[in-house]
Amino acid sequence: MTLNLGYFQGIESSTTEWKTLSFDRGRGAIEVAVPVLSETQLKSLCTRVKNMSQTYLKTIPVSDLVNIIDTTISSFLDRTNPYRQQAEDLLPRITGYDPEMIRLGLTSYLKTFRKVELNRFLSEDFSNPKILDEFQPLPKGGLGRAYGPDLLFHIWAGNVPGLPIWSLVSGLLVKAGNIGKVSSAEPLMASLFSKLLAEIDPKLGECIAIVWWEGGQNKWEEVLLKQADLVLAYGNNDTLRQIRNRTPITTRCLTYGHKISFGMISRSALDTGKSWTTAHQAAYDIVRYDQQGCYSPQIFFVEEGGAVSPEQFAQFLARELENFENKFPSRSLTIEEASIVASWRQSEELKAFSEEKRAFLADPNGRWSVSYSETAGEIYPSGLNRTIQVFAVGSLREVPSIVKPYKAFLQTVGIAASPEELIQLASQLGAIGVTRISALEHMTTPEAGWHHDGRFNLLDLVTVTEVERTAETAAEAFSDYVD
Amino acid sequence: MNEKQVIDSLTKFIIRHKTREDEFDTLALQIFEYQFNNNLPYQRFCRQRETTPKTVQSWKSIPAVPINAYKSLTLSCCRPEDIKRTFMTSGTTGDELRGKCHHPTLSVYDTSMITAFKARFMPDLKTIRMGILFPTENEMPNSSLAHYLALAYSNFGSDGSQYFITTEGVCLEKLFAELERAEKNSEPYALLGASYSFVHLIDQMEKSNQTIQLPKGSRILDTGGFKGQSRELDLDDFYERLSERFSVPRASCVNMYGMTELSTQFYDNGNQICPSKKSGPHWIRSQVINPATGIPTPKGERGILVHCDLAHFNCVATIQTEDIGIEIDNGFLLLGRAKGAEAKGCSMAVAEFLKIAQG
Repeated sequence: MTLNLGYFQGIESSTTEWKTLSFDRGRGAIEVAVPVLSETQLKSLCTRVKNMSQTYLKTIPVSDLVNIIDTTISSFLDRTNPYRQQAEDLLPRITGYDPEMIRLGLTSYLKTFRKVELNRFLSEDFSNPKILDEFQPLPKGGLGRAYGPDLLFHIWAGNVPGLPIWSLVSGLLVKAGNIGKVSSAEPLMASLFSKLLAEIDPKLGECIAIVWWEGGQNKWEEVLLKQADLVLAYGNNDTLRQIRNRTPITTRCLTYGHKISFGMISRSALDTGKSWTTAHQAAYDIVRYDQQGCYSPQIFFVEEGGAVSPEQFAQFLARELENFENKFPSRSLTIEEASIVASWRQSEELKAFSEEKRAFLADPNGRWSVSYSETAGEIYPSGLNRTIQVFAVGSLREVPSIVKPYKAFLQTVGIAASPEELIQLASQLGAIGVTRISALEHMTTPEAGWHHDGRFNLLDLVTVTEVERTAETAAEAFSDYVD
Repeated sequence: MNEKQVIDSLTKFIIRHKTREDEFDTLALQIFEYQFNNNLPYQRFCRQRETTPKTVQSWKSIPAVPINAYKSLTLSCCRPEDIKRTFMTSGTTGDELRGKCHHPTLSVYDTSMITAFKARFMPDLKTIRMGILFPTENEMPNSSLAHYLALAYSNFGSDGSQYFITTEGVCLEKLFAELERAEKNSEPYALLGASYSFVHLIDQMEKSNQTIQLPKGSRILDTGGFKGQSRELDLDDFYERLSERFSVPRASCVNMYGMTELSTQFYDNGNQICPSKKSGPHWIRSQVINPATGIPTPKGERGILVHCDLAHFNCVATIQTEDIGIEIDNGFLLLGRAKGAEAKGCSMAVAEFLKIAQG
């Protein structure tokens, strides 16, 4: 039987059209069905979600919401829970990623949504999260209350499992009604999360809907863009530009484009004892979700002058990538993905034999490749799917000026360096647009409450209503107790 | 073998009507050895793949050079002073590097083109009156397509055949006058040119609701795909409209698949069904491989096309394209350029990066 994905209330599922998506990534073929609602159905769904958001969601204290989300997440963390089991079974078949990598990834990701982490998430953006419940005194005087949108429209992209949950949880924490459009590459997790949440709090379930339509079908998108109070879109810049252009001028549209992340390895991390560990950690960041995340490294800058040279480090990295093939075997690629990898490999290979001071190391079956260059000239992305560039630099301090031209695309930097170097590099990197610095091995696992692309992810979703001090003072004159 | 021997053997091989598989293999290995010895960048490339003429037993294991390599390497066996003609790939943005294919002589290219063109486009006629929708060879001396069409024109075009495109654009008035003349005449007519020129032409004709009834036996040859030059079209739609505007049955609308990096072209037998089956003459062979591993994909599955064109003797005979295809009996289906595919994650991919970085 084909599994029905998507999630919505108030519309008979027999009255909607269902489209079958087929996946065959070498881990067992599978078909799932996604709902294609009619325009009328979409409109009525918008009304319903908005209504529930106003009449129910806006009335629940944020601390209760935290509890409900925490309960949902803890069920998802429980490996005997049927939804969890479904995710563990289906995600590898849909995305092609190694099952063990998915299992570990799910747990470490979901852990960042437990109660204590959610509270941390809130207090990152709101010094007093009760501002989401009722008017609170503001430091400048007067009172303020933050309102989430009645209808937040999420447009998700990509195949990194579970990313939509992050966006949905953000919406719920600010009491937004949510309609999310899942990507064809990973339609599962948003649907499972919503179903599970609805089992725990059915009324909260009515504040969410998960839908699908073929990418580029503007008819449906337009309905939602018109109805939504706020749009949150992920994707490449072309897609985002189109979405933004179609969004009414009075509706805010927040976009998260594709990014480039990289690693920096100081000579202090390259002594004979530590360099293998460093290479292992760097390889892990490459292997995890095959560099599909915006936080995944595409380049490593390695400092000269350590006991292990940058070229040796490139060899260590190659060895570690080979080792990871046992633990987390790479996915089988589609022809399109394989073509990107092949064309990147070919061009790096050609450079290696036409330019000196380069080396190209690769698995003969195309599962990973490392391209080493003694000079860091112009930077460019890797071929993804376990392809990495290693550039030698005289000093890590040169790196910011190398990557500076790409300011708009920079995101995470994984650093292996001493505390002094870390602080110094951080201020240089921050100045050129890097928004997140992590340890190696943690590039792909941002901590709870991180500021995605440097933005206040909850604060960006709300509008604040302020009661100014003059209004408060003036009201005094009309009170019963006025003298 | 030296260059002269290679040219002689090749020419003899091409003009024979039929050859055996083992004869192809023998010549392919001789030419591989010639290229390995005389084309040093190719030799280095093969050595990096741990392959030499001694280790290769069949054309299938000759290292295929990615066509991109032509952009950064000079892949040629002859001395630079002996180069008679250089064909260059068309860049899409103008300022990017263009691949170069050098030819010490065009005799083999011409024999290859004429022999296959006769067999596939002109089996029933010696000559035909032609209209060519592409600039002349003089206007585009580095275009292999311009040379190809010049060969068609001079070898198979009857009196009155004409070019209708200059670097300035299409001479529509002249073209329609000629087509109306052909319509009134009962003599078959042939239109040849770049696919995108046909798109512009049908757009124009549809706007003015114009149709031309070309006489029976007329035919159309388009090539090159749309390459962002005009709207990307669905192939079925393209041939349907082409056939409708000129009253040429889809079976007589032939698509030629060729590349600067080859000296031989593939043809289909019309486009009643899209994608059509493409095949080449006996001096070219193709494989469909998985680009990541280089291993041939099972018959019927998608992969990247690799061609071994013996006629391309001065550069590299075996190339890896960026075209997606499916191997079928006696040929392949051409599914178009691997688009560098939309990246699935939120990690920036090369294609998008270049687009943004180049503005």
